[in-house]
Amino acid sequence: MAAASPTPVGSLRGYQRHMIPILEIVLFAVFAAAPIVLQDYMTVFVTRVIILALLALSFDLAWGYSGIMSFGQALFFGAAGYGVALLARDLQMTSAFIVLPAALVIGLGLSLAIGAFLLLGRHPPTTIFVALGTLAGSYVADRLARDWYYLGGQNGIPSIPPMTAGGYEFAEGPAYYYLALTVLVIVYLVCRFVVRSQFGLALAGVREHEARIAFLGYEAQHMKLAMFSLAGAVAGLAGGLYAFHEGFVWPNMLGVVVSTQIVLYALFGGVGTLIGPVIGVMAIEIASFSLSDSVPKIWPIVLGLLLLFAILFAPAGLIGLVASERERLGDFGRPPLQPRQADAMPDDAAA
Amino acid sequence: MESTLNATFEVLSFGAVFVLVVLGLGIVAGMMGIFNFAHGDFVLLGAYTTYLVYSLGLPVWLGMLAAPLVVAAIGFVLERLVIRRFYVIPVIAMVATYALGLIIREGVRGLIGGLYLSVPEPIVGSFTVAGAHFSRWRLAIIVIAVTVTITGYFLLTRTSFGLRVRAALDNPSLARASGISTSALYAATFTVGAGLAGLAGALVVPLFSLFADLGIHFLILGFLAILIGGIGTFQGSIAGAATVGALSAALPWAVAPVLADALVFVIAVVFIKFRPKGLIA
Amino acid sequence: MCDQIADGVIASRVSRRRFLHSAAWMSGAVATGAGSWVLQPPWANAAATPIKVGIATDLTGAIAYAGNANANAARMVVKDINDAGGILGRSIALFFADTASNESIAVSNVRRLIQRDKVDLVLGGITSSMRNAIKDVIVTRGKTLYIYPEQYEGKECTPYLFCTGPTLSQQCDRFIPWLIKNGGRRFALPAANYVFPRAVNEHTRKLIENNGGEVILEEYYPVGQIEYGATVSRIMTNNVEVVLNTIIPPGAGPFLKQLHEAGFGRRGGRLACLYYDEASLNINEPQEIEGMANCLDYFRAVTSEDPASARIQAEYDREFPGRILFAAGTGATGMYRGLKLWELAVKEAGNLDREHVAAALDHAKISEGPGGPAEMVPGKRHCKMNMYTAVAKNGNFEIVARSEGLVDPMAC
Repeated sequence: MAAASPTPVGSLRGYQRHMIPILEIVLFAVFAAAPIVLQDYMTVFVTRVIILALLALSFDLAWGYSGIMSFGQALFFGAAGYGVALLARDLQMTSAFIVLPAALVIGLGLSLAIGAFLLLGRHPPTTIFVALGTLAGSYVADRLARDWYYLGGQNGIPSIPPMTAGGYEFAEGPAYYYLALTVLVIVYLVCRFVVRSQFGLALAGVREHEARIAFLGYEAQHMKLAMFSLAGAVAGLAGGLYAFHEGFVWPNMLGVVVSTQIVLYALFGGVGTLIGPVIGVMAIEIASFSLSDSVPKIWPIVLGLLLLFAILFAPAGLIGLVASERERLGDFGRPPLQPRQADAMPDDAAA
Repeated sequence: MESTLNATFEVLSFGAVFVLVVLGLGIVAGMMGIFNFAHGDFVLLGAYTTYLVYSLGLPVWLGMLAAPLVVAAIGFVLERLVIRRFYVIPVIAMVATYALGLIIREGVRGLIGGLYLSVPEPIVGSFTVAGAHFSRWRLAIIVIAVTVTITGYFLLTRTSFGLRVRAALDNPSLARASGISTSALYAATFTVGAGLAGLAGALVVPLFSLFADLGIHFLILGFLAILIGGIGTFQGSIAGAATVGALSAALPWAVAPVLADALVFVIAVVFIKFRPKGLIA
Repeated sequence: MCDQIADGVIASRVSRRRFLHSAAWMSGAVATGAGSWVLQPPWANAAATPIKVGIATDLTGAIAYAGNANANAARMVVKDINDAGGILGRSIALFFADTASNESIAVSNVRRLIQRDKVDLVLGGITSSMRNAIKDVIVTRGKTLYIYPEQYEGKECTPYLFCTGPTLSQQCDRFIPWLIKNGGRRFALPAANYVFPRAVNEHTRKLIENNGGEVILEEYYPVGQIEYGATVSRIMTNNVEVVLNTIIPPGAGPFLKQLHEAGFGRRGGRLACLYYDEASLNINEPQEIEGMANCLDYFRAVTSEDPASARIQAEYDREFPGRILFAAGTGATGMYRGLKLWELAVKEAGNLDREHVAAALDHAKISEGPGGPAEMVPGKRHCKMNMYTAVAKNGNFEIVARSEGLVDPMAC
């Protein structure tokens, strides 16, 4: 990523320095209130968007914060989805207290295994090798699922019963919506905490200049692996939620198309900000949904055009339209150096 | 014996066309750092142009002549309008090229009504060697692709233009500092890459028929190829294309095809794990 | 609802001239699919709400040519029904949802059909995986009737889900003996790797062996594969006489071309493919598929024997000239059948209550349809229909055998 030239503090108004938190609060309010104003089918649609936003979030953890270009998030998403589908179908387990942790564990386990293979070793891997490796994982999983009759082959596993908690059934609509939203908010807060912690600070160093951080004594690859596993766990959780919400799982959930789409949605929204990918997913999914209603025969072309123009005008992603570059890249809590104090003594400048 | 000959021939013909596709993709990726998600759809455009000319009643070979030129022109326009803006942030270029690819692909799909359309080959018939039948057109493909590749090689190594391209590939900032106009060079490279893809599309359309998703197949394999071969060198692209092309065409002869498909990827990943720089460092 | 009425023509105030004027605009809208209303006939009482029918099919995506054929067939039938006075004095309004060859998008769009548009019936789905994905939303969660119009393997026995396309049994039980008589005993079954070809091969293997044939080769390939030299070589060296192909596009074209180049047709080999119809004829050059045989519920050639089929085909060609063909493999014929059978069922039931309509649909019969009459088998939710065996000659299908009467689907 290009180094940010420090924006002179005087040029930004107070609130402009904190656009991201403002955006987060606004979006949260909108999401929380949505089911009250929306019709049922729209609520169901937004639930799906929330779950996909969780998946995009997982990609941001990997790429935006750790420099791991993962073209395989769908692998963890789909594997967890299949896992809980099998739990529901073969063991009749639909309790949220079992399937959601199971989904998380599946995602965590797989990403730990794949991450270890790709990231650890004598030479630190190139970005592109990781991209290829994750892409291959996604592709191979897709092919395997298509071929395996136990997993339903090309058709996947249909008719998954609703998720339960005690005696309560999470039907699609406001009930599932708030479940998904709760999960998203909790995960979001956890991620926010992690990236702003000391660990997150070191990780930012890895992202910016891996060799330098390694010379400082940090185990760069181990840190990346940890973050990649967290990303995998989040993706798995999303997969579990998705399986029960949609009521079916199918090989495409694991495959390259979904993986690539998530990468693009996240880039479109703006990586490295956590909220950016959420916005990106929202924007594209809502656009697709309404376009397929208004111009059913040519909506993919219109979507492509919209995407193109949007990215031309907002190369840093949609979030770049709202938040300044410095805020996007992060200043980690310390107030920036005032330009007129630049030649003052260090202890004067530190506040 | 006969099936080995057939296998070899089939592998060669697919590999030859695949090299054309990968050359364009690889040099652009190496020079500008941009992985062009629309590259497969340039192949599609080449196939579509050929079909269009043929459907107007003109001979197929005329369409095949026009295809690389038309696609190169489109590539040039796209480079000037869109791609150029992303040289500073190559990662985001992926979104833009993906959008472009989507537009092209769905546009063509709408134009051909989502059908699978056949285009006859300009040179019909087969010849027999040692009891095995070989398609004349496949032989023509091999000849054409090899000729173009060799021409490209000489262009790169013997001309001053080629020298500048190699300089920019090796060290862009130094090249710029030495007075080489990277902007013009990038435009030229992208255009030629697109033209090569168009040619590939034109050559294969009689074999695989025209359909809107023709490009995606090449894109995924192309990605593999430039990684195996090593990014940023001419020889690397060729080596990668040859390897992936050969693997994906040859494995189905040896293993169950469903397995072969996934195996190509697994082999590629494991290979690069142990030789990260690729075949040709 | 109100915004839908605003979109359409407010019938009670429409004069004949305004009707014709808006007809021109509407036909454009209908042709492009924008908006969700079919032409509302002038007799329609604005106060009476129309019956809503949802079509969920691939308007975009890899099999858009089939989806659009389905959509066109639906438009044609609904227009005919409306022109004849509608059903129970109410006109029919069509709503479209794009399933886009993508199950995720399909489910969202179909949900919109059910929950926002509140349709009384859904027809559609082409691939079995799509049907599986959307059937829950329609039948279970949406409590709506679902008619599936496409040829398929025949194991769908969900209540309130009716199938009006031919089953494997209808296609193969007479076709395989014909192939053995008109092709040979040594069979190859090259297949795409997904559920339909596997079901086909399982069913046909039994038929082949029971009729004195032998399966020499049965192989599965990934759907995207486009090089088949290995397969062709094995077919030629093992002296296969009949190739019953279930490789689908994009692989189908190259496979058949390579087979032709290797000399399969020249030495008397017979080609057969269960989904091949007029729409598939474009995939290869005519000489590459010369003699290709299939058994379907309808071919264009049937129009010379059955006046009803001729009328239907002519009307379709008039309303939808161009590349999207009314062909049996796309499900357009099943779509026609489904809508007409349902029309009868609603008339019999006298209302749109799902239970009553389903009960009436269970034994519905139409005397005219593409390929001839059709009858629902009570209790099975599948349809009896005529089956025709045809062979491709010079780029056109010619009928070479017909079923003696309506064929039982043998399903559920």
